[in-house]
Parts: sequence; structure tokens; C-alpha cells
Amino acid sequence: MLEEKEFIQELLDPKMQNKAFQKLLLAYQKPLYNHIRQIVLNHDDADDVLQNTFIKVFNNLKNFKGESKLFSWIYRIATNEALTFLNQKAKKHSITSETLQNKLIDNLQADVYFEGDEIQLKLQKAIASLPEKQQLVFKMKYFQELKYEEISEILGTSVGALKASYHHAVKKIETFVNSN
Amino acid sequence: MKEFKLENSDKIKTGFSTPENYFDNFSEQLTQRLNIPAPKVIPFYKKRTTAYMIVAAIFVIALMIPILNTSSAVTTNQELDETSLENYLSYQTNVNQYDLINILDDSDINQINSPIALEDKTIEDMLVDNANLEHLIIE
Repeated sequence: MLEEKEFIQELLDPKMQNKAFQKLLLAYQKPLYNHIRQIVLNHDDADDVLQNTFIKVFNNLKNFKGESKLFSWIYRIATNEALTFLNQKAKKHSITSETLQNKLIDNLQADVYFEGDEIQLKLQKAIASLPEKQQLVFKMKYFQELKYEEISEILGTSVGALKASYHHAVKKIETFVNSN
Repeated sequence: MKEFKLENSDKIKTGFSTPENYFDNFSEQLTQRLNIPAPKVIPFYKKRTTAYMIVAAIFVIALMIPILNTSSAVTTNQELDETSLENYLSYQTNVNQYDLINILDDSDINQINSPIALEDKTIEDMLVDNANLEHLIIE
């Protein structure tokens, strides 16, 4: 925790900011990209959201009180940015979030940056059929292998509720795959 | 067909990929957007070049020291040479007044014969200051 405080001080210090921010980028760019990509599904959108996330992190560091871990604070920003991006995109096309989700899944087959096979595509379709919260919990637990405690800090949901959410998500996915 | 069970089957990956070198370029791209001065990357070879240049400069300066010393020594030698030559001509050679007369032509002799207005006191002072002159006059 002390190390994290020192690191935040470095990020706020104009003399050390540059080096510290490069360190932050190196540590977070890949896991954050994966997290965002699993929400927005498309690479270009993930790239935009990832950049916006880091810009928001950089601009709001001075307001970071250290009440939560830096890791969960950054993930929370990334999650909000990705969900806001999807909602704005749906609004822009005058469609519902569910319709947009299905459209994005359909586009995956033609996406040069999706190399998934039949089962991987089917899994993505199954996930898209879940409610938003269950989707998030499943992706963070199954693909990103985050601990329930970490997901709890990011999403602000109790560990018990997350376990129940994940259990429901798995059952629904299995049913979807078996029936399609 | 066997029933699909997520926990029993092999881990299914997302299937997502990124453009080549995406993460390598991302940092630079973002740094530009944030207007943070990018860290200065000083290539190792450039550092070495500077070091080599410093060593070479010191080496050249070290080589120049004896040359500079020699050139000043040469100047001193030239001055010494003139004095030596004068002394040599005065005391070490067999050049006498007859040789000089032979070398001098009529115009030189006329020039020497031209009257020089000197007061007696001036001549006396010169004789006092330059003891050699007396010897030359006698000769």
C-alpha cells in the first residue's frame, strides 16, 4: 500500500510523472485492453476507449483519494468508459443496447482481429444473450481470471452476489451452447 | 452428443487479436495525445560516439603539445641563431677589412664617405658606452 502511495506521488510529481506514467502504461495497457475489448468487441473501439481511459486516469489522478486500490480505480474507469461508449453508440444508431450487442457479434465473423473458431464464436453469442451485469462478471472471472474480491472492488458488488451472478451466467451459457 | 459443460471443457479463449506492434505503438500515441514529453531515448552507440570524440580530442591536444612547444622553441632558436651568426662573423671568421673593401663597390664607399654631423660630446659618449668602438677605430 505504501508502495502504491509512493507510485501515485510519482505520477503527480511533474519531474517524475513521465517515467511513472510509462510504468503505469506498461503494467495496465494489456489487461485493460483485454477488459475493454471483451466489452466493446471491436478493436478500433477498444483502442479509442483504452486511450480515453488512460487520459481520464491521468487527468483525475490528483483527485484519487486512495480509498480503493489503484488497480480497481483504473478498472472501474475502464468499465464505465466502455459501457458509456456502447450506450452512446446505440443511441447514435437509434437502437437498443441488445440490438447493438447482436450486431457487434455478427460483425465478429468478418473482423480481421477476431481469430476465434466455431466454439469461441458460439461462446461470444451466448455471453451476448446475458444481462449486462452477468456479462461483466462472467468475462472478468472466466477470461481475465480476476478474483471475486477484485471484481467486488471494481464493480462495487458483494462477493456473494458475484458468485451467484457467475453461477447463473455459466448455466445460461451452457444451455445456450447446448441448444444452438 | 455429449452435453457441453463449461467447467469440464478446456478453457475457451476469447479469440481476439490486435494489430502487430499495437502495444509498442500505443504508449507513444497516448503520450502524444496527453502532451507529456516522451522520454529521451539516447542510443548506446551515440553515447559511445561522444565518449570516443572526447578521447580523440584529448589525444589530439596531447599530440599538439610537443608541436606547439617545438614551434616556440624554433622561434627562440632563430633569435639565437642571429646572435650566433653575428658573433661568428665578428669573432670566428677570417673576414677582415680588406675582404670588406673588396666586397664594397663605389656607391657603398661614397655612402660611407658622406659626412655625418656629430658633435664631439656625442662621440665621447658613444666611446664611453661602447668600448669595442675604440678597438675598431684603432684597427
